[in-house]
Amino acid sequence: MKTKKIFFLFFIIYIFIFSASFQHHRFDRYKKPLYRFFRPRIQSINKGLPFQLKEKQYVPDQILIKFKPTLSELLIETTIAAYQTKKIKRIPKLNIYQLQIPKNITVEEMAYVMSQNPDVEYAEPNYIVYITETPNDLYFKYQYALYNSGQSIGIPGSPHGSERADIKATAAWEETKGKEEVIIAVIDTGVDLLHPDLENKIVSSGRDFVNDDFDATDDNGHGTHVAGIAAAETNNNEGIAGVAWNCKILPIKAVDEEGYGDYYSLIEGITYAADNGADVINLSLGGDMPAQSLEDALKYAYEKDIVIVAAVGNEGGAVLFPAAYDDYCLAVAATDYDDIRVDWSNFGPEVDVAAPGERIISLVPTWYWGQGSLPYGYGFGTSMAAPHVSGFAALIKSVKPWLTAAEIMNIIRYSADDTNKEDYPGNDEFIGYGRINMEKALVPIKITTHK
Amino acid sequence: MKKINYFSLAALLILSLCSFSYAQFPEEEPSRISIKPGIGFEYFSRTISWDDDEYSSNLKSYFFILNAEFEIQEGFSLNALAGYSFSNFDSLIFRELPFSVELDVGDMSGFLFGGEIKKSIFSIYDFEVEGLGQFVYYLGSKKEWDIPDLNVEGSVTGKPWWMRASAGPVITYTGFDYFYPYIYLSYNKLWGKFKMEQTIQELSGSEDKKITGKSVFSTSLGAIYEVFDALTLKAEANFMPYNKGLDFGVMLRAMYSF
Repeated sequence: MKTKKIFFLFFIIYIFIFSASFQHHRFDRYKKPLYRFFRPRIQSINKGLPFQLKEKQYVPDQILIKFKPTLSELLIETTIAAYQTKKIKRIPKLNIYQLQIPKNITVEEMAYVMSQNPDVEYAEPNYIVYITETPNDLYFKYQYALYNSGQSIGIPGSPHGSERADIKATAAWEETKGKEEVIIAVIDTGVDLLHPDLENKIVSSGRDFVNDDFDATDDNGHGTHVAGIAAAETNNNEGIAGVAWNCKILPIKAVDEEGYGDYYSLIEGITYAADNGADVINLSLGGDMPAQSLEDALKYAYEKDIVIVAAVGNEGGAVLFPAAYDDYCLAVAATDYDDIRVDWSNFGPEVDVAAPGERIISLVPTWYWGQGSLPYGYGFGTSMAAPHVSGFAALIKSVKPWLTAAEIMNIIRYSADDTNKEDYPGNDEFIGYGRINMEKALVPIKITTHK
Repeated sequence: MKKINYFSLAALLILSLCSFSYAQFPEEEPSRISIKPGIGFEYFSRTISWDDDEYSSNLKSYFFILNAEFEIQEGFSLNALAGYSFSNFDSLIFRELPFSVELDVGDMSGFLFGGEIKKSIFSIYDFEVEGLGQFVYYLGSKKEWDIPDLNVEGSVTGKPWWMRASAGPVITYTGFDYFYPYIYLSYNKLWGKFKMEQTIQELSGSEDKKITGKSVFSTSLGAIYEVFDALTLKAEANFMPYNKGLDFGVMLRAMYSF
């Protein structure tokens, strides 16, 4: 007992000296340019999308930290106190702490200082994620993305699409319309739980990590639009058709009513989805910065054979995170009604596939347009492209539940139509393997050719 | 579930019947074994079901056989068959592979082995009643096909087999000279398996598709014609009804006696 006390005393002294040594280091660094540790955010070329860019990259007074698993809880608490930080929350499954940092130190400094501690696996800012679309119109007429007959895309005066520039959903539905047991987690701004095209499709009122309760009601509109594309109630004489007719939605709110969230809430959302029966996770959101904690959460879900689908972003620039985590995410770019990649769709080697993201009709919350209006609207963005792929993944999971996440992701990649093959044959950084083709993946392929 | 080796079972059945036959006539003087080599052709179209009877398609097969009939005793013969077959499994769908595929490849060749056992039971007026048991085993060659329309290269490899066993009485009218019409009523079972493997880059999968003939009873109408003492021709048409249709087949054989 006495030995333990002496050891503990030495440990406190050690922490104190150790922290102090980094204080010196910190101030040395402060004299030099400090921000070389963080690349400046690339400003987006916003193509008139209503949702403009983010002013901040991370939550100003928070960091995320993961301690080495060998460290006891007591030592963790001691370390947290030694750095004058305060625990806000913890994700037990990943052992990631959300810490409040003192006001006299910046997020970058604190993340750097703590990451130098040998007991810390990593420490990093709590980055911001943001949604990449807002519905901007009302009207339900056509869903060219699912079946494109070359019709006018919606309201009078809008362009016509090219025939069969679509994801071949109708043919695939002959094979399957999905199973109720297959759940798509929509981690977003929440979902309108009372929308007539969704109320019977939701497994529960979900989880709200913004307000920390169990009511993931959408106060923005984005999440409802996304959920509708993936799995709106179909064949019910109203509204629109979802890609996965019979699959269910697990609503998870990780983004606030302004369309912003932080990585911590996103990580909480991903682990919650993984622990609550999700088969597919849709992430129509992203942030500019990589983060080990986010990658850990994705890995956690992926290892549970959950297909993670993420939007690449709408700035015409680099692929956002988490979509850029190639090992765990299916990164989805956007095409239009002519099967052409839209120029605001982000690009890079991480892009896996593309799906329609231009003028996509889907649901908006019943309060969105006010009384007397139909709760439907058009949306633009890779946020709209991603749920097409999520619904598609859910259909594959419905008919082949034994497949792993990696296998489902490869089926989606390999069955895509290389719609830009004349300019970029093969897997390219604009649309990856191509625009998804549900028919090829789900309807039995006729084998005729002898090798 | 316990697996049954049908091939061994059929062989055992033939051997048992042989033994039984000898056991019944121990006091008879052993007769000289006559051998009738022959050639034959057979075609059948059978409706097969798969995936626990959920789906069905047609198995069409035609085969060329060489046979040697050994008449061990008066009224008791064994017939060994070997040949080459072309079997068509088109419309068989494999849904357990990463990419579901439907066969549309036409005929698949393979070797064929089989045997027959025939025993005269009794005669009455101008009719003779015999017991006849048959089995045929088809072992298809392994084949590989490209998977079309994907944006990466991929292939499937298939290897089928099927077995058909039948047993029942043959009633032959012996009132004509040189021409003997007959009817063969049999329990006629067909079953088999098609193993399909798929490889597409890192994706791979395998599926064993069990197939079963829908019809299990067969009525065959045929005739034997003795062209001359040593040469016999045999023709037969068979009909196999099942709950939603009728399967059929034809058989021709020429046999030479030594």
